[in-house]
Amino acid sequence: MAWDPDKDVIEVIRGPQKAGGAGGLYRAFGETLRGLKTTFGQLRMGVDTIQYPEEKIPVYPRFRGRHQLHRFEDTGLEKCVGCSLCAAACPSDCIRVVAAENTPENRVSAGERYAAVYEINLSRCIFCGYCEIACPFDAITMGHEYELSDANRSDLIFTKEMLLAEPLERTPLRAEGE
Amino acid sequence: MPRPVEKLVSLTINGNEVQAPAGMMLADAALKYGDVEIPVFCYDAKIGPPVGACRMCLVEIEGIPKMQAGCSVAVTDGMVVHTDTPTVKAAQEAVLEFILINHPLDCPVCDKGGECPLQDNAFGWGGGLSRFVEPKRHFEKPLALSPLIAIDRERCILCYRCVRFSQEVSEDDQLVLEERGADTFVTTFDGHPYVAPFSGNITEFCPVGALTSRPYRFRARPWDIEQAGSVCTLCPAQCNVSFSVRDERVLRVLSREHDGVDDGWLCDKGRFAYQAIHVDARITEPMMRDGGELRPVTWDLAIETAAKLLSHAGANTGALVGGETTNEEGVLLAHLMREALGSNDLDSRPGGALEIELLRALSAPTLQASVPDLQYAHAVLVLDCEPVDDAPILDLRLRKGVRHHGVKLLIGSSRPSALDERAAHSARFAPGCGEAFAAALSAELAGQPSASLAAAAGADADDVGALAAQLREAGDEVVILWGERLTAGPRGNEGARALLNLAEQLGLDGRDGGGLLEIPSGTNSRGLREVGVLPNASIGLADAPTAGRDSQQIGEALADGDLSAVILLHSDPLLDQPSSALWQRALGKASAVIAHAAFLTPAVLEHANVVFPAESYAEKEGTVVHPDSRVQRLRRSISRQGETRAEWALLAELAARLGSDPKALTCSMVSARMFEQVPFYAGLSLDLLGGVGIRWSEREAAASFPSAPAAPFTLDAPPAAASPNGLLRLGSFRSIWASPEVEASPALAFLHPRQRVEISPADAARLGINHGENVTVASNGDFVEGLAHIRTSAPDGTVFLQTAIPGDSAALLEGPLVEVKRS
Repeated sequence: MAWDPDKDVIEVIRGPQKAGGAGGLYRAFGETLRGLKTTFGQLRMGVDTIQYPEEKIPVYPRFRGRHQLHRFEDTGLEKCVGCSLCAAACPSDCIRVVAAENTPENRVSAGERYAAVYEINLSRCIFCGYCEIACPFDAITMGHEYELSDANRSDLIFTKEMLLAEPLERTPLRAEGE
Repeated sequence: MPRPVEKLVSLTINGNEVQAPAGMMLADAALKYGDVEIPVFCYDAKIGPPVGACRMCLVEIEGIPKMQAGCSVAVTDGMVVHTDTPTVKAAQEAVLEFILINHPLDCPVCDKGGECPLQDNAFGWGGGLSRFVEPKRHFEKPLALSPLIAIDRERCILCYRCVRFSQEVSEDDQLVLEERGADTFVTTFDGHPYVAPFSGNITEFCPVGALTSRPYRFRARPWDIEQAGSVCTLCPAQCNVSFSVRDERVLRVLSREHDGVDDGWLCDKGRFAYQAIHVDARITEPMMRDGGELRPVTWDLAIETAAKLLSHAGANTGALVGGETTNEEGVLLAHLMREALGSNDLDSRPGGALEIELLRALSAPTLQASVPDLQYAHAVLVLDCEPVDDAPILDLRLRKGVRHHGVKLLIGSSRPSALDERAAHSARFAPGCGEAFAAALSAELAGQPSASLAAAAGADADDVGALAAQLREAGDEVVILWGERLTAGPRGNEGARALLNLAEQLGLDGRDGGGLLEIPSGTNSRGLREVGVLPNASIGLADAPTAGRDSQQIGEALADGDLSAVILLHSDPLLDQPSSALWQRALGKASAVIAHAAFLTPAVLEHANVVFPAESYAEKEGTVVHPDSRVQRLRRSISRQGETRAEWALLAELAARLGSDPKALTCSMVSARMFEQVPFYAGLSLDLLGGVGIRWSEREAAASFPSAPAAPFTLDAPPAAASPNGLLRLGSFRSIWASPEVEASPALAFLHPRQRVEISPADAARLGINHGENVTVASNGDFVEGLAHIRTSAPDGTVFLQTAIPGDSAALLEGPLVEVKRS
């Protein structure tokens, strides 16, 4: 009676029994050479590496980088009134706002209240830009800065002063039509 | 009047058949029974009848040609209502457009933003666009309506809620609307600050951001905070509250509406005294006396020292337990005292113990009235207490009963009451003569001669007669709201007997809708008694194996050297006990005073050897018992501040170190054990209590309440009230604001009372005293200074002073007669 492998038995099919020869060589290197054809074909395209950080890619005007808080240019008062809507809109819960009341002696913003504490935890931020959309006073916008790495997580919590300050180095902006 | 009988009518709302009780307003009925929301601004059932001021709730009712305000139309049988037709939609949009004409769009800076009914309604029912481009009206803003409330008149939509609250709920009649039309604004007479015991409610009740809380101003937005439900333990009313917590700090307190407890209102103490949780003055680390001064120490050292002091004193230790103690802490303290130290000298009642039999009779479940009974009874007799000071929220409940349910309010008190003008009849008696007054009243009701008893009470016999006549005619459902003062002091037992006789005369035992309701002196006094924090009772109001000393005797024994150590659990005898002089001596003599306190009140500051920080009520877990027998649950809402530790754990640890481990690993373990041990709590559990609590007297297990002797008792003749004879009788009261929490809260501190001497105009004229002058009140060489306060309603021959204020407390004086003179 012939042996009939059950469906539970794994049948192993092996390759050609005879090794070597031209067929063996082709089987060994053929596919590799086919891939290398693409590689060497790129040689004529020239070098396209950008020498970061000496050289930087210009970003699009709507690039969403690190946030910036703004002041009114004429009065120097902060635009932010500490309404916390950005914190409400934030999907990663990385904004913390603690408001306080303006007094005649200490006027910080234009409205009745101002943000006494404004912190963004950039290690949590997903740069979605909802805060910018939620802001009723255009006080917060997404800037262009994207160099945000740091050796310490707590250094990535940006305070109000850090967010209000102009970035030290401006990220190059992509020109119109570029 | 008794509770209205609910008769159901059926009506059609948006094509659906709905059953609702007759007389209910359409807006309520639609939401509750029809699941249809009719938007409102000005209406809320708890404020009373509608005024239809805002027109937001317009609906179509078939058969009526014009649209009707859903808040002011009662449901009737066969009514057909439409709330979603194009006409209604157009009306809602138009009304919102009108309301928003003058409302500034400053939601980002407005504290109400995010929890604002106007935002919600504009979003849900508004048209989205406004055709009004004209400039909006302007008012000066923000203004302080009071030190606690900021008013922004530009945001006001003139719904009248605050004004109606002031005029119809709290009845302080302070808020009014001035001017007409768009220029109308909310104000007080002559711009005086709106200071009233319940003023804070309008900040929660305002449907826009016109009235906001100043302590909460700009602290957080609704999405920054978490709401944590618990119970306020600042007074016996035990209102249900919800803490707004941000970053482990309580930022405000809101009411958590509970019809059986608070009816959705809060007093200003409950609403603003949360600030005392987060002040520097609060004790948040253990301290020990070192070189005459209290200095912070480590927990290990403090516990070790306390254990050493206590084991040294052993059975010669006494304990005073204050009202803010939870049942669990009470159980563990009783264990510490009875098992670990072998002492029975612990008490939670100030001024002396009551016979255990009488205590059982007074707490009997069949005799127990509930808080809603105050609102629906035929008559309420307020006896020897002042609700607005002792349990403020009951004051609102009584006013509601009188205004909306025809409750006949009768008052028998020594000090003129804030409720007098709402009362059908008020009678005055001499301070401390509640016993004679109750006896006179029950004699009068029984048709026996009462003139001599009335005279002994220093009351007018006609007054007593009139009060008795009113009680007799009122109807079956009578609630006696009585103050613990009636049964305190050396003649407390006689006071209790007189009260029980009065209840017997009125047939209150076992009567639905009537009974006795006590306002105890401490928040959880009832619970502490029931779990055996008494010298003469053990857990479940059972007889104690050996009776110990009561609070008065503990003081005397300490002063005589019979006791050497005392534990003050949330209690400051110099503020809470009737005689300061005795306790000054007692604490001065005690070799060890171990205090659990949140603030450095006089006794702690001057006498404590070891001070453990007390948890605040937002940090505590455990159970408390409302005076109407509702067992309520406290939940931890914030983490403990500073070094504070759980007090139940501390008490368990002390007991363990002293050789009797209560084996309490968690607080809920202690609760579970307590529910097992107290026969009338049987079957309760923390889960069952949930967020609203359970009245144990309404459960079957209440049948196992220990039996008590039945009234009537024979009374011995009460001593006659002292005759003034040129001097004045001394009466005392504790103001709602006289508490360390109020003193420590920055926003409330302005209300913390100074001593004032309440005196009648006739006495003032006789003594040549003018209103506002400094006067001295003296007796037996002790004296108290205060400002003269001439009160037209004050009875002649009596002077009233406050207790529980540091320094010049009435407890420094020994009555019954004092001399008042200009200083």
